Amino acid sequence: MQIAILVAKAFIIQQVILGLASFCTWVERKGSALIQDRIGANRAGVYWNPKNPLLKIFTPIVKVFGVLGVVNTLLNDAIKALLKEDFVPEGTSTFMHALGPFMAVLPVFLAYCVIPMAPDFEVAGYTIRMQIASLNTGVLFILAMGSIAVYGVVLAGWTGNNKFSLLGALRASAQMISYELAMGIAFATLILSYGTLDLYEIIEVQKSGWGINPLYYPTGILSFIILFIVGMAETKRGPFDMPESESELVAGYFTEYSGMKFLLFWLGEFAEIALFAIILTIFFFGGWHIPFVELPEGVWWAALVGHGVLMTKVVFFCVLQIVIRWTLPRFRYDHLMNLGWKGLLPLSLFNLMITAAIVLWGMNLS
Amino acid sequence: METIVFYLLAASIVFTGVAVVAMRNPIHSALALVCNLIGVAAIFASLQAHFLATVQVIVYAGAIMVLVIFVIMLLNIKEEKPARERFLLLGGVVLAGFAFFVALSFVFLHQFQVTPELTDEITGSVANIGRVLFTKYVFPFEAASLLIMAAIVGSIMIAKTKRREVS
Repeated sequence: MQIAILVAKAFIIQQVILGLASFCTWVERKGSALIQDRIGANRAGVYWNPKNPLLKIFTPIVKVFGVLGVVNTLLNDAIKALLKEDFVPEGTSTFMHALGPFMAVLPVFLAYCVIPMAPDFEVAGYTIRMQIASLNTGVLFILAMGSIAVYGVVLAGWTGNNKFSLLGALRASAQMISYELAMGIAFATLILSYGTLDLYEIIEVQKSGWGINPLYYPTGILSFIILFIVGMAETKRGPFDMPESESELVAGYFTEYSGMKFLLFWLGEFAEIALFAIILTIFFFGGWHIPFVELPEGVWWAALVGHGVLMTKVVFFCVLQIVIRWTLPRFRYDHLMNLGWKGLLPLSLFNLMITAAIVLWGMNLS
Repeated sequence: METIVFYLLAASIVFTGVAVVAMRNPIHSALALVCNLIGVAAIFASLQAHFLATVQVIVYAGAIMVLVIFVIMLLNIKEEKPARERFLLLGGVVLAGFAFFVALSFVFLHQFQVTPELTDEITGSVANIGRVLFTKYVFPFEAASLLIMAAIVGSIMIAKTKRREVS
């Protein structure tokens, strides 16, 4: 029974990740068109001409899906990618070439293991926590998976057997390693102010009032800004997309990938965007709590509502990241490194010191 | 259940450990070492030492090995050719294996005394490890950080090239 519950939880959380990732894909395609004053994906739809009058009710919905590009981005692109030729460049081992996209997706999905998706609820005598692994090192596990994620990029660039891929991989891994420092210290600051590493407990601390506890303090606002910038840089998007800058490197580390392997990189990237949105929501915006509203504990509908609230906040941050990506121009590479090492790292260290002083001299948040 | 997991992990650790030495391509052996380190982390995790496992992944698999692979990629080291002095090499391997066996037998013959209070402190959460680290073992901890500091300064001194005089 325990194993059945675990499998069910893993399945549901995987569906949540895939749903968020495909939503991000759609916003990326159609939203970018909106920002750039284009029409965007609107042509492909599903053939829908049913005889049954009951099914005819759905006709407008299907039409709208087609015009909005949902069918185009989610269904047709995936089918197209599956049918494409699976290209492997000369002189690399096929296995290593396939390992690249795999390693780009796996760590991101694993990082979701420690993320609680809904408040606890009871079904048939079992108390179910929508979190696959309740480790006592929750936040650190996400950091660990983030550091493993570098391998996907490095492998992809190296097995491309191509100078552009290798340059892209070097840029990407240097960027990820540089920003991981600031990210780790920003996490340490938040762990200090919450006094726990478990993400579930962190959400429960923010139960009452506005539920945005660390933001009451200037250090909290500072760590939010740091974590947001670092999140954008870690996903290698937004103004930080030097590793795949088209005008210099063709497509960076995934130049030599085609078909579904290429789409796997995008899946990993969008799952990472959603992951950072979830982290921001959990740390700063109260997770599944609605300000000044307390949901009853242990009821299944409260869990559903909580999950909905969490996902609403997460979707907001996903869309925000995509809008920033399509609005701001790209950094120059030395500016990026300066920002990481000379800007964010000293700032986050300073922030850590101040927070430690606040926690030490009695202004405990919880 | 736990024994099965342990033996699977142990087998994968030994296998990847051999692969580190046996692979011709330096990147392949570096990746095998990454798998090895993650396997050791998994054994830590199966002993309920979650913090140790996570830190093992962050520090060894995530930071050190990435730098190793970085250097291999930048220097563009090609596949190694098989060594010529086969006979000498074999002798060396046998000697090293024997030395390792002797060292290992000393370890196994020695009976380790694990005091119960120590295990109580080690098993468990980050809070326990932090408490022990900053009270009982604060001197070794600080000494290690001093050593790392000295190593960082030393590596910067070695890596720093003298700036050319602009005339």
